[in-house]
Amino acid sequence: MATKMKEVDAVIVGLGWTGGILAKELAEAGLKVVALERGTMRSTDKDYAVPIVRDELRFVVRHDLMQNTARDTLTIRNNPSQEALPMRRLGSFLPGEVVGGSGVHWSGHTWRWTDMEFRVRTLYEERYGKNFIPTDMTIQDWGITYAELEPYYDKFEYTAAVSGKAGNIRGQIQPRGNPFEAPREREYPLPPLTPILASEMFTAAANNNGYHPFPRPAANASRAYTNPDGSKFGGCQYCGYCQRFGCEANAKGSPHITVIPIAMRNPNFELRTHAWVTKVLKDSDGKRVTGVTYTNVLNGEEFEQPAGMVLLCAYAINNVHLMLLSGVGQPYDPVAQTGVIGKSYCYQTGAGATLFFEGRHFNPFMNAGGSNTTIDDFNINWDFDRGPHGFVGGYNIGAGFNTALPIGYRPVPSGTPQWGKAWKAATAKWYQTAMNINASGSVMANRYNYYDLDPTYRNAFGQPLMRMTFDYKANEHKMGQHAAQVINDIAKSMNPTRLNQATARTLPWTVVPYQSTHNTGGTIMGTNPRDSALNKYLQSWDCHNLFAVGANVFAHNASYNPTGPVGALAYWTADAIKNRYVKNPGPLVPA
Amino acid sequence: MMTDLAMRGRMLLWTVALVTAAGAARAGGDAARGEKLYEDCAACHSIERGVNGVGPTLYGIFGRKAGGLDDYRYSPALKRSGIIWTEGTLDTFIADSQATVPANRMPYAGMPNAADRGDLIAYLQKASK
Repeated sequence: MATKMKEVDAVIVGLGWTGGILAKELAEAGLKVVALERGTMRSTDKDYAVPIVRDELRFVVRHDLMQNTARDTLTIRNNPSQEALPMRRLGSFLPGEVVGGSGVHWSGHTWRWTDMEFRVRTLYEERYGKNFIPTDMTIQDWGITYAELEPYYDKFEYTAAVSGKAGNIRGQIQPRGNPFEAPREREYPLPPLTPILASEMFTAAANNNGYHPFPRPAANASRAYTNPDGSKFGGCQYCGYCQRFGCEANAKGSPHITVIPIAMRNPNFELRTHAWVTKVLKDSDGKRVTGVTYTNVLNGEEFEQPAGMVLLCAYAINNVHLMLLSGVGQPYDPVAQTGVIGKSYCYQTGAGATLFFEGRHFNPFMNAGGSNTTIDDFNINWDFDRGPHGFVGGYNIGAGFNTALPIGYRPVPSGTPQWGKAWKAATAKWYQTAMNINASGSVMANRYNYYDLDPTYRNAFGQPLMRMTFDYKANEHKMGQHAAQVINDIAKSMNPTRLNQATARTLPWTVVPYQSTHNTGGTIMGTNPRDSALNKYLQSWDCHNLFAVGANVFAHNASYNPTGPVGALAYWTADAIKNRYVKNPGPLVPA
Repeated sequence: MMTDLAMRGRMLLWTVALVTAAGAARAGGDAARGEKLYEDCAACHSIERGVNGVGPTLYGIFGRKAGGLDDYRYSPALKRSGIIWTEGTLDTFIADSQATVPANRMPYAGMPNAADRGDLIAYLQKASK
């Protein structure tokens, strides 16, 4: 029998970036808030300090900050004709599992997604006609605009200490910034990070090829910084241990050094760690949720936490899983094309080349999470005509290093044996001489890429595992081929001694090796309850006191990293709850 | 053969000499300016009594032995450095801490400008009491 806790105004499931932002904002607005986090408390001074954090084996190979697949995982398949099998070891993506969530171990790349995503169907239909979009490509407009989100992007960038160079301030194109970006009100809070040799060489090559390189915006403080909330950042030390690691210098924008400690000082807020939420509870008519049940993973004790509002702020995949397990909204059916929960799961694609320059020393062990130069000429540049190439979406290309560590980073020219004496000689010879050029590409929603509950496999709590059905489609193959060609042309123009050419990903997607922790969709936002799970305020169309915040709301996946809009949407939702919902609880958008 | 400790001592003296040649912090720095420069340190070091963060509190730093607080986990390198924190030793350490005490665990690349260090130390002298 579950112990029933005292009712609160809001219960937050998962305390990473989105949960942390909502916890701080709602507690400050006077609401009684409880956050339930399945992971443990970790802090910079105890857990991420030098020298313990410089442990590639522990944090990268053994996934110290990530979800434990022995307790819960997903089953995976490429298409509905296959039998899905459990992913027993993490690989392709890495959901976090500590206070701070994936906001602890991210690299900090912070982008503003624009109306090129939010109005994707409208824009492509207007320009290329309805038939340009394949019938199984279920892309749709998101129901929100860049102009609405702009102040919230700004708020997130200033909170998270983003270093960068504006490319467009109120319509004025800025030198050395990204000329294709949507207009922003003001500069980034911090100047760009110091470039490294690989990014400088790419900048020169991109300029020579007529492209528009700019420093990648990243929540790695380029110098000491105090954010508008008073949270203090040290300057990035270019230590090389960024992605997969907590920051030893408090220089990476992370919730555990910003919004979470502020919420924790507020008497309106309480955090319970090791609390695994198993279900969202609905009232008898199914129009509202009444709270959640959770299990203390240390002793198995079960609790019910009644709440006036439930805010799902777990990793994107787990937010969708909870909706399916709780029966909130109608599950998506790809055959009948009915229902919305589980719909439009998307991932990312890419291509990459490795360039070797005899005699150059790149020092790949020394970099920030965002030490990259990027070009957006084939991404948010609407002048790039997709018509002749026949794909929807885009890709950004970048070069530089991010967390190139001694065990995992071993660049050798193609044709080198994969082990033994020859490999050892090659890795010693080429280690210092290599740099990469990589493309990260969007993935459009497809009718047959989705989540549902697995009919066979169950997690440690006896609940069905989430089943992921995903593969790249012709659209992504075409884009990958285009990207590989552009990368190889730039690479050849740099005259490397040896070149491992980029090739498009055309094989079926698999769970190994690591690709990206940018899983999106499943409970998408949209303009109406027939084709989306949430309205533009990330509020459930079915139960108005349930909000699901994270990349699970994205109607498709762009080429950019997701945390910019994830953070902005968390502030956007916090404002909608504080300023509108609390005063007049009910649907914020008429169904 | 020199003992390990003696070698470290010599290295320290050598580094001090080098930094002095490059320009030591001037006495009587601008504490108000130093307070702003302290932002470089503040993400890890508080200046309140008993409040350790990623780094130890700087409260009461002057005259203290390096590695001297009981409630903070110092690197072995700093504990056996034998440094007593004064205007001069702090100046050397802040300029390039890894050269001064190799293998200490402070992730900070250093404050290269002597005038900046002088102002920061002036602030610390005022605020750490």
